[in-house]
Amino acid sequence: MAGGVLIIAEHLDGRVAPSTLELIAAAGRLPIDRHTVQLAVLGHRVQEIARHLSGYAVDVLLADDPALAEYSGGAYAQAVRPLIESDRPRIVLIAHTAQGYDLGPALAGAMDLPLVTNCLALTLDGDRLVALRRILNEKVQMEVEIRSSRPIVVTMRPGATPPSGTGRGMMSVTEVPVSIDPTAPRATFVRTERPEVSDIDLSSADVIVSAGRGIQKKENLALVEAFAKAIGGVVGASRPLTDMEWLPKTRQVGQSGKTVRPKLYVACGISGAMQHLAGMKDAGLIIAINTDPTAPIFEVAHYGFTANVLELLPAVVKELKGG
Amino acid sequence: MALNLVVCLKQIPNPDLQFQIAPDGKDIKRDSLNYKLNGADEYALEEAVRIKEKNGGRVVALTLGPKRVEPMLREALAKGADEAVRVSLDDPAAFDVGRNARILAATIKTLPYDLVLTGVQSDDYGNSATGGLVAGLLGLPHASVVTRVAVRSGGLEVACELEGGLERVYSLPLPALLTIQFGANTPRYAPLPAIMKAARQPIKEVDPEALGLTGWDSVPLPYSFDVVGLAPPSAKGHAEMVTGPVADQAKRLAQLLREKGFVRR
Repeated sequence: MAGGVLIIAEHLDGRVAPSTLELIAAAGRLPIDRHTVQLAVLGHRVQEIARHLSGYAVDVLLADDPALAEYSGGAYAQAVRPLIESDRPRIVLIAHTAQGYDLGPALAGAMDLPLVTNCLALTLDGDRLVALRRILNEKVQMEVEIRSSRPIVVTMRPGATPPSGTGRGMMSVTEVPVSIDPTAPRATFVRTERPEVSDIDLSSADVIVSAGRGIQKKENLALVEAFAKAIGGVVGASRPLTDMEWLPKTRQVGQSGKTVRPKLYVACGISGAMQHLAGMKDAGLIIAINTDPTAPIFEVAHYGFTANVLELLPAVVKELKGG
Repeated sequence: MALNLVVCLKQIPNPDLQFQIAPDGKDIKRDSLNYKLNGADEYALEEAVRIKEKNGGRVVALTLGPKRVEPMLREALAKGADEAVRVSLDDPAAFDVGRNARILAATIKTLPYDLVLTGVQSDDYGNSATGGLVAGLLGLPHASVVTRVAVRSGGLEVACELEGGLERVYSLPLPALLTIQFGANTPRYAPLPAIMKAARQPIKEVDPEALGLTGWDSVPLPYSFDVVGLAPPSAKGHAEMVTGPVADQAKRLAQLLREKGFVRR
């Protein structure tokens, strides 16, 4: 609807992505008439998802087509394009997920629209959109301003906005026509690959001790393992360690690995890149060990230890055994 | 099938550094920073060189930035790129990803290309936008967060990483654009003779006139962009910090684990 917000929903295996509920909440914070917020559900045989989302007090547009059965950037962009052209929203809201940052920038490029990505918060004032972002390993925050008469494509960082709750009334679901040009060159979905489950399942562990680049050498994993054993935990890792294959991919905590909510999470030599924090920030108790007192991990940690992790771990294991 | 490959590289300040805000609040202080090739772009470069080695073809390393980017381009040449192109955008911050992508897309149009590669994101600004924008601007099919690339007859099959370790496999016709994920391969070290050779290779410069522009400020944009300001992040929920000698910290940590019931004794 002209002047409003068009949210692009994300779903997988019949489930709505949590980030979609955050987008609904983010749209609700903007100074616009809430009746101009619309949510587009793209897919095939996803009426149930559309109906469910209409319970979050947004009007749902349902684009159903076999070509949308699995996400593909090209097909999604073709389906979204006419919605933007006909409704002229002020803002197109997309989650900054692997799927969202595949779609948002390409859509903005193809339609020659302004774009701002990976935003934490938005302020809208007349034709001026101000987006709050974090840059340089989360060490600097930045506000940028976009002015445009055209719809602005915005991707929002998952976890930045508390999600919207249901129970504010069912709204409408409107089917919109979809025409996907089969001759337009695009990426075509072939199959989904799921990781083999042969290792321990981090997501069911009560205590996780994770290692990061601060442990310096693969041999030092033994220190982390000894500490994990002393407190009945399992060993996880940040992305650089699994990329270097010091630990299997199944141990990776973060956006591209596992999202975990253990009772205790100990981060050993992890600086706290956004993608790692997204996977562990909801743990019950977070203890971080890092020599850099300004490391972003200390923003989500409850307790921060600044000793060298390679010295602290053996010392604490000794304390625990002797005590 | 020989391929013309273009890999877009970005030089970034080493993100492990501490940063200070410039007096005008519109950028970080840049005078004492050291710069490096963006992490994900190392994998994009390596992927481009591997595709060339397997299928034949040519790799052009493309970047935009001031003169300081030249050592990064020479590193790319030493690691297997055949040609280096610097778009002479002197803006040291270059915060507007939309403008950067439009300049890159216009430059790529002047090159032969079958496949354009970028890193999945830059570790300085974290937009994850350049690749997708360029694909949209050039009308190319694209895939993001790519961990595997196989060249098939007339096209590609690629694996794309999703949250939670899932992967989706896509097939794409060429020409196409891919954004490459961290860890997609193992980047090589440049051998010394290649480093020596790269030091003498020319770097092609692209100025606004070459793209039909009167200046970098005259790139047509559907919006205006401004940096309102930079600031240290608002500290919320900062940890209770424990400092001092290691032995004391170990005692405190052990005590904490007992208090919270994670150790029985």
